[in-house]
Amino acid sequence: MSGAVGSRWRGSQPGAAPDAPPGVDATRRLELAIARILQWGIGVSVALLAIGVVLMLVDGISPLDTGYPPFDPRVVVAEVLAFEPAGFMWLGLALTIATPSIRVAASLVGYLRQGDRRMALVAVGILAVIALSVVIAGAAGA
Amino acid sequence: MAAGGVAAGTFGSLLGLGGGILIVPLLTLGFGLPLREAVGVSLVSVIVTSSAAAGVYLQRHVANLRLGMSLELFTAIGALAGGLVAFLLPDRVVAGLFALLLAYTAATMVRRAARRPEAPGPATSTPDAPGATRASAELPAGLDPEGAEPPAGLDPGAGAGFVASLSGPGYTVRRYPFGILGSLFAGLVSAILGVGGGIVKVPLMNLAMGVPLRVATATSNLMIGITASASAVVYLLRGGIDPYVAAPTALGVFVGAAVGARVSHRIDVRVIRILFIVVLAYTAWQMAVKALG
Repeated sequence: MSGAVGSRWRGSQPGAAPDAPPGVDATRRLELAIARILQWGIGVSVALLAIGVVLMLVDGISPLDTGYPPFDPRVVVAEVLAFEPAGFMWLGLALTIATPSIRVAASLVGYLRQGDRRMALVAVGILAVIALSVVIAGAAGA
Repeated sequence: MAAGGVAAGTFGSLLGLGGGILIVPLLTLGFGLPLREAVGVSLVSVIVTSSAAAGVYLQRHVANLRLGMSLELFTAIGALAGGLVAFLLPDRVVAGLFALLLAYTAATMVRRAARRPEAPGPATSTPDAPGATRASAELPAGLDPEGAEPPAGLDPGAGAGFVASLSGPGYTVRRYPFGILGSLFAGLVSAILGVGGGIVKVPLMNLAMGVPLRVATATSNLMIGITASASAVVYLLRGGIDPYVAAPTALGVFVGAAVGARVSHRIDVRVIRILFIVVLAYTAWQMAVKALG
């Protein structure tokens, strides 16, 4: 599924058509590419969450039972492979949280291709703040 | 829980709110969840709805990507700070702040209902005509709305050129430094209380920065994703998100938002709004009791 997203997105990149004038057209195409990233990111996330919820119901787990597995990226993969509800839920939640950052990374590429250094710098700044929060939270949570 | 999510999502999209303002009270007062866990769950739900909405707004060319990105840099910084502060604040303080937010939102809705009883629909119900006229009157002659100014340089004029490049067709962005301050505040509020913060961002862009309401609402939805994810990461890695609660809630909110968008033109929003004001006032009271009790 991610392959389909990638190729569709690349197909609408500003640099894909060399005859296209820079500026307005490239900006519009970047908007559409980002719109698609958001819709796919959330669509796949919601699908993963739905699978997780269905498995949870099948397993008879009540959401309000005390205690839940901690988020551990290494465990999540194993849980998904074992068809456990928590794995799908974690994956869906992580993808949900990552989707806005993927969107910013895509606009970074788009603005670089347009030669818009200031907007590229803004995108780098946003990604740096997100990275910082991952580092700080990770360090404090450990 | 999923049903509650559906209700929150439907309500939220009908009234042009993210739904976070309903999810947190629902989970704490309704399901007895600790406040901090409710905030974490709410943040995830808020990302789902706002990103889905932002995708549609971008497709329809309503959201202002440049403006959104240059402001969300600061909402993200505020959210990072807020996410860290939230783990230091006692539950009672968070409950008290939430009660204030609920009361403020209810007051905003009362004002809005009084000002324009024939509201045409969600999110566009505040009069934006004055803002639009003012903005177009101020549009300097010869300004290219798509912002094709010369490439970046660090000369003193660069700042003004950058702000001009954020403006859209028919309006000029004003008071960008004030926008930065407001964005930091919006991020802080969002991270501590688990709401999208549209209640801060939309008036900030619309009233203070001269952005038309439609564009401000769309751009706010775009910004909420990054804002909420900056603090959601903190909640996620610190064990503040329960997947068994977050998944059904987020799913419910997503479905509810879709339902709300479908039925919004068939429902009398005035009735919903009055009902919502009552719900807000009641939850504000409950939260206040929680803060004091």
